[in-house]
Amino acid sequence: MSAVEAIGAPGPRGLARSLFSWAGANPLLVVGGSMVLVVGVVAVFAPLIAPYPADAGSATHPLEIFKPPSAAHLFGTDQVGRDIFSRVAYGTRVSPLIALAVVAIASVVGVTLGLVAGFAGGIVDEAIMRVTDVFLAVPALLLALAFAAVLPPSTSSTILAITISWWPWYARLARGEAASVSRRRYVENGRVLGLTRRRLLLRHVFPNATTPVLIQASLDFGGVILTAAALSFLGLGAQDPTPEWGLMVNEGRSFFQTYWWVVTFPGLAILFSAAAFNLLGDGLRDRLDPRRAVAR
Amino acid sequence: MGFSVRWFGVSVIAAACLLAAATGSAAAPSSAGATAAGQTFVYDSYTQVMINWDPATAYDQEQVALENMYETLTSFNTKTQTIEPLLATSWKKSQGGKLWTFTLRRGVRFHTGRPFNAQAAKAAILRMKKLNQAAAYAWAAVKSITTPTPYTLALHLAYPQPMDLISSAQYSAYMYDVKASGTEDLAKWFGAGHDAGTGPYEVKTAAPGQEVELTLKQFPGYWGGWHGKHYTNIVYRIVRQDSTAVQLVRSGQVSFVQQMSPQLWATVKGSPGLRTPTSSSFENLLLYLNTASGPLQSKAVRQAISDAIDYNGIVTALKGAAIRQPGIIPTGLFGHSPTVPLHSYDVARATQLLASAGFGPGKNKITLSMTYTQGDSNEQLISTLIKSNLAPLNIDLNVQALTTSTKYAKARSTNPADRQDMTFIYWYPDYPDPATWFISLLHTQSPPSFNFAYYSNTTLDKQIDSIERITASNPAQAKTIYRQMEMTVFNDVPIISLYTVEKQRIVLDSVQGYQDNPAYVDVVFVYKIHPKA
Repeated sequence: MSAVEAIGAPGPRGLARSLFSWAGANPLLVVGGSMVLVVGVVAVFAPLIAPYPADAGSATHPLEIFKPPSAAHLFGTDQVGRDIFSRVAYGTRVSPLIALAVVAIASVVGVTLGLVAGFAGGIVDEAIMRVTDVFLAVPALLLALAFAAVLPPSTSSTILAITISWWPWYARLARGEAASVSRRRYVENGRVLGLTRRRLLLRHVFPNATTPVLIQASLDFGGVILTAAALSFLGLGAQDPTPEWGLMVNEGRSFFQTYWWVVTFPGLAILFSAAAFNLLGDGLRDRLDPRRAVAR
Repeated sequence: MGFSVRWFGVSVIAAACLLAAATGSAAAPSSAGATAAGQTFVYDSYTQVMINWDPATAYDQEQVALENMYETLTSFNTKTQTIEPLLATSWKKSQGGKLWTFTLRRGVRFHTGRPFNAQAAKAAILRMKKLNQAAAYAWAAVKSITTPTPYTLALHLAYPQPMDLISSAQYSAYMYDVKASGTEDLAKWFGAGHDAGTGPYEVKTAAPGQEVELTLKQFPGYWGGWHGKHYTNIVYRIVRQDSTAVQLVRSGQVSFVQQMSPQLWATVKGSPGLRTPTSSSFENLLLYLNTASGPLQSKAVRQAISDAIDYNGIVTALKGAAIRQPGIIPTGLFGHSPTVPLHSYDVARATQLLASAGFGPGKNKITLSMTYTQGDSNEQLISTLIKSNLAPLNIDLNVQALTTSTKYAKARSTNPADRQDMTFIYWYPDYPDPATWFISLLHTQSPPSFNFAYYSNTTLDKQIDSIERITASNPAQAKTIYRQMEMTVFNDVPIISLYTVEKQRIVLDSVQGYQDNPAYVDVVFVYKIHPKA
């Protein structure tokens, strides 16, 4: 038995219990977390859950076109006979992955630029933030649309287009935190003690900016899923046969009044996942944001 | 609780909007202000109608509107298989079919106000011959034109040709006023949205790129008169969403739907107030394969593609809107040969052919580009099916929906690298004759006009150059040559005929007298129909 365990550090079970206990105080976190968990589980086990995995790819079945929901096809089939349940299940590997990629890239780029701007101040701050302002002046969806329109339609283009419109928010957030922290006494003391700028930035300023960025990132997941779906819906995002939910809605919209299932289930998947990440984000904010904690 | 309803609300609203958008376009159809109510006939087209306004060179979908603005010397009645008088009241051939004399209708005026007579007809034909575009090849035999009297037109031919039939063509046979533009360039004048025909309707408004692209009004001076019941206006409305078209026709806002997804069309059958007539056609959907650049330069790869397509699957998916026929000449036309083999779905042979060219599963990947007409749900469906067929063969097909004009611009790009590898075209005869498939689509063209396979075969070119002459002098030999040409196309695979179109229309019950005439594809002769009282 190690010394750490001997003094009562939680084991895996204890850690899980602590996590549940921490989250349990916030119903939003529990509900949102559970929904995200469902999305994650479906994504991981899609090949086992989907009855017709090939339908998430290039397979088509002309004899099975527009079959209504049944035991054989829980969500029915689409305009080329593909099983919609299988495609919706595999779609959990596309839309949330796009959101993950966008939030990861945008936060890395945005936070880096924001920290540099906030910490350096002066002309560097001005230069970075004016560029940021230019991007912020245009609504994110419009900007993403503009970039997607000039890129060849694909999943990677979707990620790139949304990322370009998303990073400024992180830059502004991180810049604010960095500017605030860099004026605090302990940072000034560090400067006096001769700590390098890099050390100050990475060891003292950056850690203080992580919580608001984490909250913002969790809140952004839902927004990015919706934006990606919107781009695909407009034909500027993922291309067939990618089982992207927005694309599925687009391809089925002509048949909505007659074959309602073609559009409804991918639409509900968008709703579910966007709501899941937003609830989780709200819950995380409630738990992590000290200002909210004080308000409570 | 710290629950912020903002993001949740945004997500719910946005998702709901996305769902609503799926039908939203259908829910707001009236912005264009067009209505089929009363005396206006509204023609619903899934794609742009007026690509080219010049009646001498127009060679796309324009005929659906031009046929109501312009007239030809004769017209072909597919039902009775007879040629009927129109601007010519009678005609006769002599000198072994090398002299055709047309007696022209008197009292006819162009929309410009000038009279139609033999001189005007001669000028129109000569301009078509000079421009030598669209279906002008049909006038190639005309050596000279004389006008023995003001209302007699004599065509002197180099070799016998069925000029009564050619005069009924839906392209390059319109009679128009060549003096309409005065000193201005006539083609430019047409391009500005003018017409100079003798037909029952004339241009009222033209708005290229708009949903209501074109509105025609009655020409008061029409020689046929306006006695009895007639529509006063014709509106050509571009509706790219099939679901919107269904809503518009159900609500009576359009009178006629040209084409739509067979699945949706089937749901309209039996609806009160609507008719859903079907008819055979001489129109087929062809798939071009780029023989001049890219991986499809290889004949083996093209043959592999032809073996990789599940033709029966396409026909099944189109639920009655398509039938398979051998060759590229449809059944019912002279030159059709039932003994031309059908391309068949044979994945094993496709794999072998690809392997012989160094491609296929486990070998080099092929990436191809394919374009189709935006708004054509059938082409969209077929693209998906073909993409699906090719994927297991290690062929990645990038499919792109383009407007008709953009699709053509890409296909006609002077830079071969900018052209597509595969694209679709619907093709039908200019007049009931099969030569157009070969002349317009397969004869060597530089720059390409409609040969989007960029195919060049000197042997085939020679056969094409002589086929019209041989058809007139020796029909049996012409049939043999047509079969030889079909076999060349079958083996070289510059073009694949996917299916022959079965027309599925939606017509308001209030539209009286409508009949499809396969010789004039998708045309509604509005003068001949009328609204129910």
